[in-house]
Amino acid sequence: MTAGFREHVRAWCDEHVPRDWRRAQTGVPETEFVRFQKAWFAELNAAGFAVPHWPREWGGGMSVADQIVLYQELAAHDAPRLVLAFVGIHHAAATLLAAGTEEQRLQHLPAILDGEIWVQGFSEPEAGSDLASLRTSARRSGDAYIVNGQKLWASGGAHADWCLLLARTDPDAPKRQGISYFLLDMRSPGIEVRPIRNAMGDSHFCEIFLTDVVIPAANLVGAENTGWQVAQETLGAERGLTMLELSERLAHTGFRRLVAMCPTDDPVVSDRLAQLEIEITGLRGLCRRLVENAHDEGTGARNPADASIVKLFYSELLQRLTDFGVEAGGLDVHTDLAKPMSSGWESGSWLLDFIGSWEWTIPGGASEIQRTIIGERGLGLPREASTP
Amino acid sequence: MILDVDEQAAEFGRQALRAFEAAGGDALVQQAEAKPDTRAELVDSVLRELGAWDLNARDDTDELEAAATLCRSAGYWALPYPVAEILSRPGDLDVSGLSVVADVNPAAPVAGIEGPWATVTIAGIRSAVIGHGPAAPGFVAPLELSAVDDRGAADVALALVLPCWTLLGMLDRAMELTVAHVTMRKQFGVPLSSFQGVQFQLTDAEVERSGLDILAKHALWSVGAGRPDAANDALALRMSAIEAADVVFRVCHQLHGAVGFCDETTLSWLSRYSQPLRRLPLGLSATKAELTRRMS
Repeated sequence: MTAGFREHVRAWCDEHVPRDWRRAQTGVPETEFVRFQKAWFAELNAAGFAVPHWPREWGGGMSVADQIVLYQELAAHDAPRLVLAFVGIHHAAATLLAAGTEEQRLQHLPAILDGEIWVQGFSEPEAGSDLASLRTSARRSGDAYIVNGQKLWASGGAHADWCLLLARTDPDAPKRQGISYFLLDMRSPGIEVRPIRNAMGDSHFCEIFLTDVVIPAANLVGAENTGWQVAQETLGAERGLTMLELSERLAHTGFRRLVAMCPTDDPVVSDRLAQLEIEITGLRGLCRRLVENAHDEGTGARNPADASIVKLFYSELLQRLTDFGVEAGGLDVHTDLAKPMSSGWESGSWLLDFIGSWEWTIPGGASEIQRTIIGERGLGLPREASTP
Repeated sequence: MILDVDEQAAEFGRQALRAFEAAGGDALVQQAEAKPDTRAELVDSVLRELGAWDLNARDDTDELEAAATLCRSAGYWALPYPVAEILSRPGDLDVSGLSVVADVNPAAPVAGIEGPWATVTIAGIRSAVIGHGPAAPGFVAPLELSAVDDRGAADVALALVLPCWTLLGMLDRAMELTVAHVTMRKQFGVPLSSFQGVQFQLTDAEVERSGLDILAKHALWSVGAGRPDAANDALALRMSAIEAADVVFRVCHQLHGAVGFCDETTLSWLSRYSQPLRRLPLGLSATKAELTRRMS
């Protein structure tokens, strides 16, 4: 860690984390949410804290040790979460850096720093866990592709400027070999975004309908029909620092709020809290090892199942913790149905947090998929008989 | 010990299931949520035709069993009406229904229900409901109470047991819906139900559901037989019901995937309306603490 870095981040947080953002961002309209998100991103960016994980030439270059400190301190200071910028700074950037052309990087990486919002267009009604069976088609026509289909569970789709899109370019190839990866301008004609109201009563998830949408061939990422390989770079971006950030938030914002609310003189309650603290400590350790090992490839320290273990453990721990929050909070929790926008999955509005926690064991590789990966890649067990 | 309900009571439950379906089935709770003040009129005629309000659950074991199967059928459709609470009303108070409440912050899913209502704490303190606050989700409202007496200890067991039968009906339905979903939904070219990991999750949930089923019957027998331990049996049932509901809804949501959180699916409605039954009057830890205190 750079000497004095923690103190530097602490001082910055003291000065810049908006004091009353939770109250001010509760019950506000979407327009205010978008404004606040963009303003907070700009503040972080001005300090060099928005994309510390990017290469130095694109505006990042922070050491892993410093990144860990940064996320610890942001969580400890209860900083707002970057909701809208998330896909851009993680998924889009990782994809462009690994497989994009220089033109694509030059067009989008600086734009992301200027506030360009991205959405991921992967899942479809018939392609959830089995993502490779996706049916959205992209047909080559001159210098462009004509795209038709439907995407589902696109987080933040209503505010996105650009979309990371997977579409089938060769319907006759084996399913993983006929997919291509595109950058889709969400202002293109033929796109309709419909919000989906979920059990928490919000509409962050969207359906995206694509009807004869034209994508210039220059927006293809990687070669035609290699989209599945490119997509692995996108999905890999979910499995390192993003999990460390979430585990720190769970430990600070989430667990501290839980303890503050609980009658800790009750032995049943203190027993449950102690158990949760042990599990959170384990999670933070797992995340830290995951991040550090990701930068030590070839040392033999890396277990190919580590990321799945972290995702599985975090998601199920989040459910246990928020469930206990609902239980300990009593009736008040049931009537507190407003959650600050820009908060995470541990906002302290326990009922909404608990319901929201359920989305964690389903997307980004459902728990069943994570267990399969741990079994096959971690333990070297044979593949399940019924999967192709 | 009798661990099954009489065939007549079981048949009554099946009739109720069909009658609720004919009266609107899944649409009933959706209509009631849209217009909470219509919840009584949506279900009153079907319950009346079934003879629900003639059941004397407190004094007749056959009718007690019929009341339990009726509650189970009501749970299956997430019937938007406090059937269990009405059937739990005490014989010596002139009230429409009885809810068990916690010592602090008393609340019950009675928003929009007319008529005199009573509450009882686990210790047996009875009160009359003299007003309630604004309705929260699940028709739950905070209650304003006026003390009546402390002679309600004998009222508690039945008033804890019948809502557990309602919750059991919800678990029956959640399991049915999920078995149907994983049989129909294909990923990787095969139905989800062909994966052993999916099957094992469902079997774990079914073990919980069937364990609750047998405990519900045991507690019902205990109440009907007037056993001195009936209230403890009822608390044990309640603890088991909360734990079983956690496992069953966790598995059912997981196997439905994201769509299970959207109101296009019946599971989403069931899950939401199971919350008051799982949280009120006491959650898992408080129920466990109360049971431990009484047993020791």
